[in-house]
Amino acid sequence: MTSPASGKTPKPFPGVRPIGRPFWLLLPGVAWLLVFGLAPILFMGAVSFWRSSIFGTTPDFQFGNYARMIEEPLYVELLVKTLRIAALTTILSLIFSYPLAWFLASRKGAWKAVCVVAVFVPFWISYVVRTFVWLPILGRNGLINQTLMGLGLISSPVEWFLYNEGTVYLGLVYVYTLFMTLPIYLALEKIDPKLIEAATDLGARPWQTFRHVVLPLSWPGVLSGSIMVFLLAVSAYVTPRLLGGTSGIMFGNMIANQFLSNNNWAFGSALSMTLVAVVALFLLVVGRWVGIREVFTGGKG
Amino acid sequence: MPADKAKNAVAVAIHRVSKRFGSVAALDDVSFDIMRGEFFSLLGPSGCGKTTLLRSIGGFEAPTAGDIQIDGQSVLHLAPYARPTNMIFQHLALFPHMNVRDNVAFGLRMKRTDAATTARRVEEALALVRLEGYGDRGIDQISGGQKQRVAMARALVNDPAVLLLDEPLGALDLQLRLQMQVELRRLQRQLGATFVFVTHDQGEAMAMSDRIAVMNSGRIQQIGTPAEIYERPVNRFVATFIGHANLIEGRVAEQRADGTALIDVEGLRVAGTAQALAAPGASMLAVMRYEKLQIEAGGNASVAGTGTSTLATVSEKTYMGAALRFVCRPGVGPTLTVDAPNTEAGRAICEGDSVRVSWAASEINLLAE
Repeated sequence: MTSPASGKTPKPFPGVRPIGRPFWLLLPGVAWLLVFGLAPILFMGAVSFWRSSIFGTTPDFQFGNYARMIEEPLYVELLVKTLRIAALTTILSLIFSYPLAWFLASRKGAWKAVCVVAVFVPFWISYVVRTFVWLPILGRNGLINQTLMGLGLISSPVEWFLYNEGTVYLGLVYVYTLFMTLPIYLALEKIDPKLIEAATDLGARPWQTFRHVVLPLSWPGVLSGSIMVFLLAVSAYVTPRLLGGTSGIMFGNMIANQFLSNNNWAFGSALSMTLVAVVALFLLVVGRWVGIREVFTGGKG
Repeated sequence: MPADKAKNAVAVAIHRVSKRFGSVAALDDVSFDIMRGEFFSLLGPSGCGKTTLLRSIGGFEAPTAGDIQIDGQSVLHLAPYARPTNMIFQHLALFPHMNVRDNVAFGLRMKRTDAATTARRVEEALALVRLEGYGDRGIDQISGGQKQRVAMARALVNDPAVLLLDEPLGALDLQLRLQMQVELRRLQRQLGATFVFVTHDQGEAMAMSDRIAVMNSGRIQQIGTPAEIYERPVNRFVATFIGHANLIEGRVAEQRADGTALIDVEGLRVAGTAQALAAPGASMLAVMRYEKLQIEAGGNASVAGTGTSTLATVSEKTYMGAALRFVCRPGVGPTLTVDAPNTEAGRAICEGDSVRVSWAASEINLLAE
């Protein structure tokens, strides 16, 4: 058979001659990257060495902003906490999304369309609204407190439903989980049902079929979903702002504060650059791990 | 291996199996036995129920009625992973994320066979299908024929009581298909295994099978050796589906004591072998296979009345390489198509020539309609 095996990773530019390419075709893309990608980061990087005072931000070249960030434990602690929240959000999203994606992928015919739309429609609403909606649900006089008091299970409203790290997890998982569900769903969709039959025929029980066939074949979806959710969660601003209270604050809020209330653009830029660097490092590590993984699963050559 | 794995025992017993999809009967009260060590083919057009039957044996479809036994035990309550069967799928369904060796080892690993035994049996299976040294190859790094062999090794390594094959050769080009037919037959003989082979290709079924079950519309039409099915088709469907035949309806003119009968077809008399006695005047169908008819040039000496020849005019001649096909119009009666071997005498006959078409009564089947 000449049909390509599913799950095969295409080689980058197979058969492209290394010389004589009309490189000017790349210009629009390169220009786009320069203007919208590289330039803002370079500018922010420059500003991070400037000096901000009550009189404004003035060009300079000094490491004071970075020194301050390292000297005051608050910032490093907050960065670690933010990474932890992003990581745990990713894991929780994965746990929630995989069964959901599995459910969607295993529906058939018209039912599938209905289920997929039902899952995705809420996400056409602004994520600010979807975050805000937790307030009337979890608040002091919210839906849950009212219900519990109505049932006589509690006598006074429970305060800890809102404004803590737990609420941030709830909000982040709810807002970003579809970025996990979608790639996993697409990966599961692509799996030939005959492969599952073949595994079953060869003596694999349902769990073994999942473990040895379905999971490895949906792994690329899991990885890309995880990267998306992690990146979105690590730079979250609205969710911790609305739901986190003081104990649920994240690195993004700290950066925003520098720009919006403290008017310290230089320090805000330094914090931003640090976050960019940490995320870049993260992607590098994951990227390398994925590369090894693909070689390991037989996609080599 | 259990001691009762002797030949002449029933490997698979299909007992009154029916399968309905809504109001459609995919299988309609099907019963037969497949013997141990037999190469058994299920042959029929698409939608005849052959694949549904195969999948029912493998456990991927649940019959609505009836029983399926393997080695005397009913398997209907068993999930596919618990059945002593293995299947080779139509599009092979090799695992794309594993190399050849891991594909072949899959079944043994699922049964928690120890690593040393697994490694040994995988190598044996690869040797059996002549793929030594290919273990480390990825599935996308081997040819179509090699994929076939991997699929065979992956199934056979588990030593199944019955191997189910769902048109595995369908996707191959002709040369490779013929080669794989020989290979499959060799494997089956060498292992003495029971193969159940689904195909819509009558030539393939003929060439490979010990016995063939011809199916249509969810029913078994005929079960027999390739020769029985070809030489003695029991009904019009089998006669048309396998080989090429002139199918001619007529009325019984004379029933002879030796089992032959003479029928009258629009004035043409045809002698043939009736499978059941028929009363004079009854309607019968003569199955006259193209290659069972002979053609010779000239032919003025017609043996009238014996029903074994007629004079005719060639209206069409087709050169087919191994054979020559003549469409002949007798003076009376229907058109007869004749396949003659490609000989000098045959090539000399041209369109418009007068010829004599003859046959032996023993080669013509008369079926009651």
